[in-house]
Amino acid sequence: MRIVKDTNIDFMSKSSLALASSAILLILGLISMVVNGGPKLSIDFKGGTLVAVNFTEPVDINNIRSAMGNISIDGQDFDFSKEEIKHFGDNSNVAIRIPSLDNEPTEFSSHIIEHLASIYPALVPESESEFILTTEKVGPKVGSELSSDAFFAILSALGLILIYISIRFEFKFAIGAIAALTHDVLITLGVFSLLDYEISLAVIAAFLTIVGYSLNDTIVIFDRVRENMKSLKGSDFTSVINKSVNESLSRTIVTSVTTFAVVLILFLFGGEVIHNFSFAMIIGVFVGTYSSIFIASPTVIKIAEKD
Amino acid sequence: MQHNLTPKYIIIGIMLSWTVYALYPTWQFQNMSEEKKEELRSSGDLEQIESKIIRQGLDLRGGMYIVLEADIPTLVGNLADLKDERLASVIKKANEAAEESNTDFLTQFRQSAELDGIKLSRYYFELGSTLDQILISLEEEAEDAINRVLEILQNRVDQFGVSEPTIQKQGKHRIVVELAGIQDSKRARDLLQSTALLEFYLVKNPSITNEIITLLDNGLKKDSTFAANTEDMGNTETEGTVNNEATNVSELFSNESDTLETVDQLFPDAPFSSLLTALPGDLAVEKKNLYALKNLLNSEKVQSILDKSGGQFLLSNSADDLATGTTEEFHRLYFIEKSPELTGGIVEEAKADLGSLGGGSAGQPVVSLTMNSEGSRTWSRVTGSNIGERIAIVLDNKVHMAPSIREKIPGGRTQIEGFSDINEAKDLAIILRAGALPAPVNIIEERIVGPSLGADSISQGTRAVIIGLLCVIVFMVIYYKMAGTIADFALIWNILLVLAILASLQATLTLPGIAGLILTVGMSIDANVIIFERIREELRKGKTPKAAIDSGYDRAITTIIDANVTTLIASLVLYQFGTGPIKGFATVLFWGILISMFTAVFITRTIFSTYISRRSLSTLSI
Repeated sequence: MRIVKDTNIDFMSKSSLALASSAILLILGLISMVVNGGPKLSIDFKGGTLVAVNFTEPVDINNIRSAMGNISIDGQDFDFSKEEIKHFGDNSNVAIRIPSLDNEPTEFSSHIIEHLASIYPALVPESESEFILTTEKVGPKVGSELSSDAFFAILSALGLILIYISIRFEFKFAIGAIAALTHDVLITLGVFSLLDYEISLAVIAAFLTIVGYSLNDTIVIFDRVRENMKSLKGSDFTSVINKSVNESLSRTIVTSVTTFAVVLILFLFGGEVIHNFSFAMIIGVFVGTYSSIFIASPTVIKIAEKD
Repeated sequence: MQHNLTPKYIIIGIMLSWTVYALYPTWQFQNMSEEKKEELRSSGDLEQIESKIIRQGLDLRGGMYIVLEADIPTLVGNLADLKDERLASVIKKANEAAEESNTDFLTQFRQSAELDGIKLSRYYFELGSTLDQILISLEEEAEDAINRVLEILQNRVDQFGVSEPTIQKQGKHRIVVELAGIQDSKRARDLLQSTALLEFYLVKNPSITNEIITLLDNGLKKDSTFAANTEDMGNTETEGTVNNEATNVSELFSNESDTLETVDQLFPDAPFSSLLTALPGDLAVEKKNLYALKNLLNSEKVQSILDKSGGQFLLSNSADDLATGTTEEFHRLYFIEKSPELTGGIVEEAKADLGSLGGGSAGQPVVSLTMNSEGSRTWSRVTGSNIGERIAIVLDNKVHMAPSIREKIPGGRTQIEGFSDINEAKDLAIILRAGALPAPVNIIEERIVGPSLGADSISQGTRAVIIGLLCVIVFMVIYYKMAGTIADFALIWNILLVLAILASLQATLTLPGIAGLILTVGMSIDANVIIFERIREELRKGKTPKAAIDSGYDRAITTIIDANVTTLIASLVLYQFGTGPIKGFATVLFWGILISMFTAVFITRTIFSTYISRRSLSTLSI
């Protein structure tokens, strides 16, 4: 069985069109991030408290929101109605996220849980362990450390990859690969911001996975380019790249489709905890495949032209 | 047959058996009934199995994850031989700078001290005479402090009987505690965190306490903002009632009264005492008034009055519903001496027990306390000269108990009574034992995954991964037929081998780890796809199956190695620099890629070669 027969598509001639659409998406994402004041980071990075509880029957978020508007903890009054209050998975689950407060009372999450329970007392499961799905409290210091750790880790990984590809291929290929990776992560960030999805630690893991996947995809094409550069000595560089992309197209499609199917299934059936993760992966697989052909390769051509 | 395949099959056979061997305990554990586990646990054999299984992260199984950090600035403050405001301000500045720039506190402390021009040798003459010596000593003290916390925590968590607690040091000043399947998170949190300074204070007697309350009321009343504040807080029904300044507050301590009276009804314009409630023998504050009271106590006015009085107010560590018939919970409030009679370190042993028969406390829970010789001497003096007074056991600035001194205790052997149950006595004993720490410990990160969410994420996640895997497997068979089946075999083995390695490394499988596994599956499939597409290409060029396989593998191998090595580099860097979840991801990815290279290149090729050598094929099922 073969899905893709021998093709001879001039991918590179369409690269400016692709570049334009990438640019539009990137700019949209950037605008959205600027408007929202940066990517929407979870409390993992900002610090704060997350509480998710499970009622026995579906509950009304608006009701909970207004009930959280006036809360007294140890005599101190709070208004949490403006905070993020959402269903968590299905309609009987509720999650509330509150950023770090300067005057945070002790046992803050327990208080929030008590208040949530008091809104629908009849719908609270008997056992506390069934009621509380999860609570998280991250100090602001931990959050900022985590951000800088993650940032530094990704940056150094990119640096070393650059060196390896420069040695194994040529420097221009390394630049092409890094351009594709950066493109993928930025697009995913942008889409997250546009759709108001939150960047949590799990999403960072997804970003890393995307980086790995996209890199793999890019290297496979570059490898074909390297091989064809030897066998087609003297040919125009752009046509070498076109030929290489076409030759590896069948593999690209098979791999992307299978991986896409896996992450789509994860997204649909994987449950709330890995929802954002699998969503990032869906975008990532698509963008990663696309960028190997339309970002990485044209970048290499552009650099080659300048030489 | 060109090559002899037997050695390759021996290698494959050895690895296959090892995989089964390494995964067997996990399989065994998963299928074990609870009763069987209990049985093995009591015989001590369960631990051996548990040490060989793949541990599930708390995000998958439910539990509590806490990061504790020793409060180094407070430690540095406590260690000073000379304490003054100048040092305090340097410490404060250094702390702010360290938080802002994410740097080490002690580095900032050095800079701040140099900038401010204060001579640290004046403040820490016992630690050394040069700046370097002092800072090295402080660093050692800080490390020592966190090591003691670590030891005490390990000791404590065992006492709590949580199965498989993980307590690890992270970096220099942090401890990560993981408690799987914990039910009472509050109790765990309290016990983990209360590792601070243990002190014994004399409680000031009721008449002195009354005086200070009157003094505070009068002092605050002149300060209109506070009066207005508390009126808002207080009962509106008593508004406008005028009262005498010199009210006698001794009614607060009416031992006979067993009914509760909120004081604001008695003294409507008494800003301080109106927040309090009289209990038999004690002062208490309603939970709803707690915030207002803390604000008042921290105000400059109150501070200056208290400074002159030589005493301080401390609250009890937990709130109880002290009165029957009310739903409100109360904290007790104690007025105690400014400086402790005894501090940490002197407790040699503290044990919770039931009182021996024949004594006054027969059958009641008691805590027996033994002190070292230094502590015993002071204790003997303090108890001797304060019979009838109360002594507050204070940990982390919270009063845990304030028993009365009945008689002089000469040998340091002390018995504390008055617990409502044995757990309360046990908790106090643990706290007394652990009281030797000079630095408080703060919770800087806390995650609790409820057991139901953990179970949900396991079942849903596993189901999704299995469905996804099945789709891939079926697709490979349809698309690549015989070759696809070989690749599927390699893929399944790839996953099992990664799990086997995780089990033998005693690594923890978390959600990011599963993400890594998915990427591994993707890369492993991709390696096979690259090879198969290459073989098909060669076949189209008219090569024989054997030649196509040989050149297909040879050409694909460089691609696979380049693609995998780059990802391998990435995973190594992530492992090196990343923390927690990123590390988990990197571990799985690293092993996954190594193994997928092995399975894709070595195993599938060996099987292919066998397949070809056994029949002289003119076509290849690919």
